[in-house]
Amino acid sequence: MVGLSLGEKHFIQGGIAQDLRSDGRKRLTYRPIYVETGVIPQANGSARVRLGATDVIASVKAELGKPHPLQPDKGKVAIYVDCSPTAAPIFEGRGGEELSMELSVALQRCLLGGKSGAGYFHTEKSAGISLSSLVVVEGKICWDLYIDGLVVSSDGNLLDALGAAIKAALSNTGIPRVNVAAGASGDEEPEVDVSDEEFLQFDTSGVPVIITLTKVGRHYIVDATTEEESQMSSAVSISVNRQGHICGLTKRGGAGVDPSIILDMISVAKHVSEQLLNQLDSEIAAAEARENES
Amino acid sequence: MAGKAGATPTTYSPSPSTLKTKSLIFKANDVDWVRPDGRGFHQCRPAFFRTGAVNAASGSAYAEFGNTKVIVSVFGPRESKKAMMYSDVGRLNCNVSYTTFATPVRGQGSDHKEFSSMLHKSLEGAIILESFPKTTVDVFALVLESGGSDLPVVISCASLALADAGIMMYDLVASVSVSCLGRNLVIDPILEEESCQDGSLMITSMPSRYEVTQLTVTGEWSTPKINEGVQLCLDACSKLAKIMRSCLKEAATALEE
Repeated sequence: MVGLSLGEKHFIQGGIAQDLRSDGRKRLTYRPIYVETGVIPQANGSARVRLGATDVIASVKAELGKPHPLQPDKGKVAIYVDCSPTAAPIFEGRGGEELSMELSVALQRCLLGGKSGAGYFHTEKSAGISLSSLVVVEGKICWDLYIDGLVVSSDGNLLDALGAAIKAALSNTGIPRVNVAAGASGDEEPEVDVSDEEFLQFDTSGVPVIITLTKVGRHYIVDATTEEESQMSSAVSISVNRQGHICGLTKRGGAGVDPSIILDMISVAKHVSEQLLNQLDSEIAAAEARENES
Repeated sequence: MAGKAGATPTTYSPSPSTLKTKSLIFKANDVDWVRPDGRGFHQCRPAFFRTGAVNAASGSAYAEFGNTKVIVSVFGPRESKKAMMYSDVGRLNCNVSYTTFATPVRGQGSDHKEFSSMLHKSLEGAIILESFPKTTVDVFALVLESGGSDLPVVISCASLALADAGIMMYDLVASVSVSCLGRNLVIDPILEEESCQDGSLMITSMPSRYEVTQLTVTGEWSTPKINEGVQLCLDACSKLAKIMRSCLKEAATALEE
């Protein structure tokens, strides 16, 4: 995908080995994160996150639906990612499908603790988003959250950027208060009144951040650019929450890795996650303050 | 531990030192909990492998772990499609499908669209792709019956089918998953256990090289728990690989006779 000369490849690899990457960062330094909230007025919540030249948008839409029969006390959350051809010409048509699918699955795993909706993984304790808070009337009505990610421009580390954008979008999300008409009982469908003035905020303190450690040579780096990603042997994405618990993990790249290295990566990710969470939280707060001003 | 006495000879389980989990309590209820099929928490289902299940394929294998039954056939290496760009390493094409009757509710198998790419990622690191440039190897897996831990069984069976097809690999790939139920880790979960799990961890490894080719974790885990799960899976993987290897040897000696 990325056309690099032998010299450029050596330059990237050598820089990483010496803890000085081609853009001047250290191995475990993120690019500056820029967050903007409320970018899509039609959605219940939205955010745009920029990490260097990587630019993603996440939107959250809430719709009233019916809970899964096996899960009457839980709402449903679906995450889909779309790769726009504006990011790269290969995403045109069905070209982006494979990447979109991979990102969607990884995000579902990292943020929802497994596949939500139908299937066999939906009962797992949701690590990131509290599904039980989405229930309106148990067994009858719940909120369905549709989280859509859009890759506008891609310069590596899409998963971390999308994870951050979803976290920001969720904290920006207001879910309308629903008043259930009293009196409906038994099999009757309860009548609901969706308020268009009162909104409930989401508690996003439990939503984890995703940290992708890309292994280049013997070292691993965070927030790899596309050039750096082209030199990777494997990458491990780990989602970590405030408590320092692992909420999900996926590996990319086929090359085998020694188990002890993976465990080491997990501890590094935990360390990095603290800084990233703090940085992201302050960026989100700043973005929301800006939004309220205007 | 329940079920331990009734272990069949083909059952493999990780080293006895890891068998000492005392808490037999499921989901904080004060009820002694026994796995539905009577196994110990750290005891895998009996594994059955057979190569050469499909005549038309270059290599194939059938695997049966309890109720989970899968069949994998490998075709090729064949010439890559003309539309593909030139590649000096071989390509791997993986597809996992479910029969309509594989799941308790008919036709639910299409929920697992990501399995194909997971299978691809698990195998590509083990295959010496340089050994068949410009060509493609197809791996088609069919889940005949879904009884839990489907993906790990598919992956292990696929690596056996690749070996049967004579595709060069660095090592056999074995895969095992654990489910976290309450405070307990149960290895090789069945469908019922998977449906009420709090989290799962799946490892795909090349045991002789002691390398992990694929690792996925869902649900919330603390670091010690992850360590425990990883160790448990790696132990089971190396034992599973021994069974797979003996299956290949059996097939080879049968051929000689």
